[in-house]
Amino acid sequence: MTAILEVTKATRRFGGLVAVNDVSFKVSSTGVTAVIGPNGAGKTTLFNIISGSIPPSEGAILLAGEDVTALKPEAKAARGLVRTFQLVKLFQDLTATENVKVGFHLKSRGGLLAALFQPAWAKQAERDAEEKAAALLDLVGLSKVARTSASVLPYGQQRLLEIARALAAEPRILLLDEPAAGLNAEESERLAKTIRRIAADGTAVLLIEHDMKLVMDIADEVVVLDYGRKIAQGTPEAVKKDPAVLAAYLG
Amino acid sequence: MDLNLVLQSLISGISIGCVYGLIGIGFCVIYNASGIVNFAQGAFVMIGGMATYVLMTDYNLPYAVAAICAILLAGIVGAVVERLVVRPLWDRNAAMFVMILATLAAQIVIERLAYILVDDQPKTLPPFTDIAPIRLGGIAVNYQSLWIVGCSVLIILALNSFFRSTRTGKAMRAVSINAEAAALQGIPVSRMLTLAFVLSAMLGAVAGILLTPTQYTAFNMGVPFAISGFIAAIIGGFGKPLGAFIGGIALGVIQSMAILGLGAGFKNVAALSLLLLFLFFRPSGLLGSTR
Amino acid sequence: MTNSPSTTSPEAPGLARPHTRHFGSAAVWALSAAIIGYALVFGGYMATIVAFALIYAVFVSGLNVFMGLTAQVSFGQSAFAAIGGYTSAVLTTTYEWAPLPGMVAGLVFALVAAFLIGFPTLRLKGHYLAMATLAIGLITYEIAVEWESVTQGYLGISGIPPLGIGPFEAVSDRAILSVLSVIVVILAFAVTRIRRSRLGRAFSAVAGSEEAAGALGINVSRYKLVSFLIAAAIASLSGSLFVHVVGYVSPEVFGLHMVILAFTMVYIGGLGTVAGPLIGALIISILPEVFRGMKDYQDLAYGVTMILILIYAPKGIAGVAGALDARRSA
Repeated sequence: MTAILEVTKATRRFGGLVAVNDVSFKVSSTGVTAVIGPNGAGKTTLFNIISGSIPPSEGAILLAGEDVTALKPEAKAARGLVRTFQLVKLFQDLTATENVKVGFHLKSRGGLLAALFQPAWAKQAERDAEEKAAALLDLVGLSKVARTSASVLPYGQQRLLEIARALAAEPRILLLDEPAAGLNAEESERLAKTIRRIAADGTAVLLIEHDMKLVMDIADEVVVLDYGRKIAQGTPEAVKKDPAVLAAYLG
Repeated sequence: MDLNLVLQSLISGISIGCVYGLIGIGFCVIYNASGIVNFAQGAFVMIGGMATYVLMTDYNLPYAVAAICAILLAGIVGAVVERLVVRPLWDRNAAMFVMILATLAAQIVIERLAYILVDDQPKTLPPFTDIAPIRLGGIAVNYQSLWIVGCSVLIILALNSFFRSTRTGKAMRAVSINAEAAALQGIPVSRMLTLAFVLSAMLGAVAGILLTPTQYTAFNMGVPFAISGFIAAIIGGFGKPLGAFIGGIALGVIQSMAILGLGAGFKNVAALSLLLLFLFFRPSGLLGSTR
Repeated sequence: MTNSPSTTSPEAPGLARPHTRHFGSAAVWALSAAIIGYALVFGGYMATIVAFALIYAVFVSGLNVFMGLTAQVSFGQSAFAAIGGYTSAVLTTTYEWAPLPGMVAGLVFALVAAFLIGFPTLRLKGHYLAMATLAIGLITYEIAVEWESVTQGYLGISGIPPLGIGPFEAVSDRAILSVLSVIVVILAFAVTRIRRSRLGRAFSAVAGSEEAAGALGINVSRYKLVSFLIAAAIASLSGSLFVHVVGYVSPEVFGLHMVILAFTMVYIGGLGTVAGPLIGALIISILPEVFRGMKDYQDLAYGVTMILILIYAPKGIAGVAGALDARRSA
C-alpha cells in the first residue's frame, strides 16, 4: 500500500503522564482508517499531534514522505492534511455556504486589492466558489439549508457542514475527530454514507471514533490504542477477534 | 547623583506603590471570581477620597467616621455596578470586550455623577497624623507614607486570613478555582460575584483615602490610578493578589526613579512601557506560571 | 478560568445574506443621507457638527474592520489617527507640503508603526490585547505632549491649510461636507466588498474560531495583522482629515476621549455592519446638540446610553435593521 501518512514512534508526555507511548502506524492513501480505543487511551492526544495542535515529545509525522512533525496546523493544511473538531467549530455568524467558501481559502487567491477592485478573475473565482460550495453541500445533504446561518443548524447538520467545509480545502487526507459523537442513528447512517463516498472519491480518511458500529461498517483498517500504546492493527474483522483488544474493551 | 535624593524617591515610590498594589488586588478579586477585568475600578478609588472629603467638610463628620462611611459607600456602589451593569451581560455570556466597554462606561457615569454632585475642583485631605516628618540623615519620611505602608500590610494580612479562614473567603477561592464545581458544592456563585465587587470597591476606596493626603482627588482621577493598578496586577501575574502588591511596589519605585532620572513628564511613559514589556515578554507576570 | 479570547463573540453580527430584501438597512442609509443633506442645505453650525461626525465615521469604519469583521479589540487606534494628523499638520505647516502628499506620508508612517506594533501586540488575547493597545494609545498621547520640538506640546499646531488638490480647496462648509461624504461612501463601499471577498471570509474565520481557521490553512496572525493595518490606515486618514478641516491639532484631540467616543459610535451603529459607523457617528455627534445647555450631563448620557445599548441592543441600530430584514425575508 502507498502510505499518505506515517506516524513513527510518536510519544507525548504531560508531566509524568505518558498520553501517547511509542505509537507507529501508516495510513493508506485510499480508504478509511480508524483509530479506536477505550476512554483515556490517548486517541485525542494522538490526533492533536498528527494535526499539529501540539508537538510530540518524541517521534515523527510524515505526510506523503515529508517530515511535517513541527509544522503548525495551517502549514499542514497547506500540504493537504485537514481536520474537523470533536466539538464542532463552525463560523457561527456565517451561512452554511459561506462556511464552505472559507474552506476554499487555500485553493484560491486574492487579498485586499482583489477585494476592492474585483477584477474579472476574482469575480470568476467567486462564481466558481459558489458552485463548488453548492456541490459540496449537496454531497453532505445540506442543500436546503445553504443560506441558513450555521449557528441555528441542528447539531447533526453542523457536523456534516464541518466535513463539507474541510472537503472544500481539497485535502489529500481528511482527519475526522469523533464525527459520530452526538448524532442519532439516522444521522449516523447519513454520516457513514458520506464518509464512504468521500473515500470512494479518492480522499484518504483517518478517523477517531467511539462508535464501534460506525467503525466496523466503514473502516478498511483499524488501529487500536490502549493506555497510550498501540495494541492491535488490522481489518475490522481481525481486530474484533484480537485477544488484546477484547481484553482492553471488556477488562 | 545624590544618594539622599535616590533614597527619598525610593520611599515615595514604595508608598505610592502600596496604593497601586491595593488597587491591583481589587482587579484580582473580581477577576478571580468571574474572569472579568473591571475597568470601573478607578471610580472606587475616586469615591474613597471624594466621599471622605465631602463627609468631612459638608457634614462635619470626624475623619475616621467619614473614611469608614466612604468605604461603605464605595461597597454599595460596587454592588450597584455589579447588579445593574455586569450582571445582565454576565447572564448573557457577553464577549470579553463588551464587558470591558460596559465597565468603562460605568466608570464614566460614576465620574460624571461625582462631577455633577460635587464639582470639578481637585481636593485634598489632611494627613492622618499631623506630625513633622521623621528625619533619618538627609532624608525625610513623612507619617502618611508610614500610614500607607502600614495600612496596606494590615489589609493584605486581613485579606489573607479572610480567604484562608472564613467560610465566605474559602467559598470565593473555590469559585475562582472552578466555578462549576463550586456551584455543584452548593456555593452561590452569583452572590460571590456581587461580593467580589463589593470587596474590590472597598479596597479601591481604601487606596483612594490613603493616597489623597499625599496627592489630591478629583472626579477624573480614577482612570490613571486604575491603569496603574492594572499594571501592578499584570506585573504580579494577573489574579494573584500578593503578586499585584509586589507589582505595585515595583511600579511605584520604577516610576519614581523615572521621574528622578528623566523628569516628571516620563512618569506615565515609564509605567506604560513597563506594562508593554511585561505583556510582550512575560505576560504571566513575576509570580506567574502559565495560567 | 482562562483568559477568554475575544474571538468567540456570540453577538457579532454575521455577513449580510444575499437574496434578502434590505428595507431596514435602506432606512438607515436614508436617515443618514437626510441628516447630511440637511447640513448641506442649511449649513451653519449643523454643518460643522456633521463634518465632525463624518470624520469620526471614517475613524470608526477602520475600527469596525478590526473589531467587527475580525473580532479583535484595540483601544489604541487613536495612536494611528494621531500619527496621520500630526504628520499632515507638521508637513503642511513647517515644511509647506500640499495636503495630499502630507496625508500619504502620514499613511505610510501609520502603516509602518502599525506593522511594528502589530507583531508583538496581536499575539496577545483578551484583556491583554485590550490593555496593550490602550497603552499604545496613551503612550502616543504622551509623546504628542512631550515631543515639543515637533508637536509644540499642549499648545498644539495651528494654521494648518484646508483640504485641497492643486487649485481646488475645500474651504466652505458645503465643499468640506461633500468631500467627507464621498470619502465615507467610498469606505462603506470598500467594507462591503471586503466582507464578500476571500479576504473578508478569512477575517470572519479568524473571528469565528482561530483554531478552525488554522485547520483550513488560514494564517491567523497574518490576517489579524492585515486587518490591523487596514484599520490603522483608515485611522490615519481620519486624523489627517481632522487637522485639515479644523486647521488646528493638539494632543487632546487624540486622547482617551476619542477612543471612548468611537467605541460608543461603533456599538450604537452596529458592530460589523456597513452602515453602522456612519449612523453611529451621526447620532452620537448630534444627540448632544439636542440636549444643548446640559453640557454637564453629556458624558453622563454617553455612559448611560452605552451601558443600555450593550445590555439591550448589542447589535446596534444597523444590526437591528439588518435583523428585521432577515426576519422579513425568512
